[in-house]
Amino acid sequence: MRLKAAVIFCLLAGLAAGVAGFAQEGHPLTGLWYGDWGPNATQRNHLTIQMQWDGKSVMGIVNPGPDSFPLKVATLDSSKWTVHIEADGKDEKGSPAHFVADGKLENIGSYNRTITGNWNYGTTKGTFKLRRD
Amino acid sequence: MRHRAIIVCLAIVLALITLFVELHAQAPQPQGQGQQVQGQGQGQGQGQGQGQFGGRGRGGRGQPTGPSKPTPRWADGHPMLGALAGEKGIWGACCGSLSNAQTPYQPWAKALYDYRRNNEFEPHTRCKPSGGARQFVTPYGTEIVEMPELQKIVIFDIGGPHTFREIFLDGKPHPANLVPSYYGDSRGHWEGDTLVVETTGFNESFWMDRAGSPHTEKLRFTEKFTRTDFDTLRYEVTVDDPGAYTATWSNTFQMRWNGGQELFEYVCQDNNFAPVLLVGQEERVDRTSVIIP
Repeated sequence: MRLKAAVIFCLLAGLAAGVAGFAQEGHPLTGLWYGDWGPNATQRNHLTIQMQWDGKSVMGIVNPGPDSFPLKVATLDSSKWTVHIEADGKDEKGSPAHFVADGKLENIGSYNRTITGNWNYGTTKGTFKLRRD
Repeated sequence: MRHRAIIVCLAIVLALITLFVELHAQAPQPQGQGQQVQGQGQGQGQGQGQGQFGGRGRGGRGQPTGPSKPTPRWADGHPMLGALAGEKGIWGACCGSLSNAQTPYQPWAKALYDYRRNNEFEPHTRCKPSGGARQFVTPYGTEIVEMPELQKIVIFDIGGPHTFREIFLDGKPHPANLVPSYYGDSRGHWEGDTLVVETTGFNESFWMDRAGSPHTEKLRFTEKFTRTDFDTLRYEVTVDDPGAYTATWSNTFQMRWNGGQELFEYVCQDNNFAPVLLVGQEERVDRTSVIIP
């Protein structure tokens, strides 16, 4: 049983490393983004977003895994390099929440470009930071 | 006396005109011979210059010193794209910039292209292979080796990553479910004296030209190679990438033959000083990692 778990872990780790090691120079949002979000500097939550440009729109998934949810809207304004994201997910308590986030894409030419900005759902607000890996 | 002064004056004017015409004839011509955009009902004949480093390697563009010899041919009659048996030769660099003001970018692709013009941080400068036309912009030129018995052609880069691309001429289609790669999968066939190469299966990890024209995994690249005489290789490129452009578009260039030159050892990782010059405003180059991202 342990051996099986170890094999699965190694396979997943290898897959993640393969994805992370694959530089991407196409659409600036395409890729796997890691970071955190939270209402203040001390209350932070891990955040992973996978985004993909299909030629017309950006599709994506938040926190791939059992608690994942798709992006409802993801747009890039390339005149200002700003990003707008909307998604229907769950908050920390598990209640349905409509997240809206607006951020700025920075260090665009870099393999490890970043998006930083603000998010909100209802009256709850906070910041987020994502780094492309 | 007056007539003599007029004759001298006319002679000087004639000499200056002759000198001007001569100098103009010797001036290098722009490489891009005209870009056409398909799907928009119009073509733009516009010359286009070099990218920043296009054509300035050791392989250079080579200047013919006299009338070129005729196109060399194989026994079956089709043009020979490489060196004759027992001889050496490479093609000088070309096509620094595929695109121009008429290129039908999607908005994000144009913005990214403009960004790259000011913030050069090209994967090629980090020793990554570069597919599409970018393969011909490596310093020191490229060597084309035809292997009729294997039904394939190999194009070797000399500078940059010092790697190669295979073009299969066996008539088989692109494999299904291609894993995206730097050079993609190239399949060629002859149409008269022109080698037509279709390439697909590119990854997004490189720039397809020196200028930074963006592309996506949807890119399909059509190249037409025509050796019009011994010293000249006409190179026509058509870009079909609905992920980054609103229409297919093309451009045409020429490569010059550099006889007597051949591949030499070049290890990018050992000689990789270029990023210092090429990162532009993007100065945050991480030199702590053994693996170049």
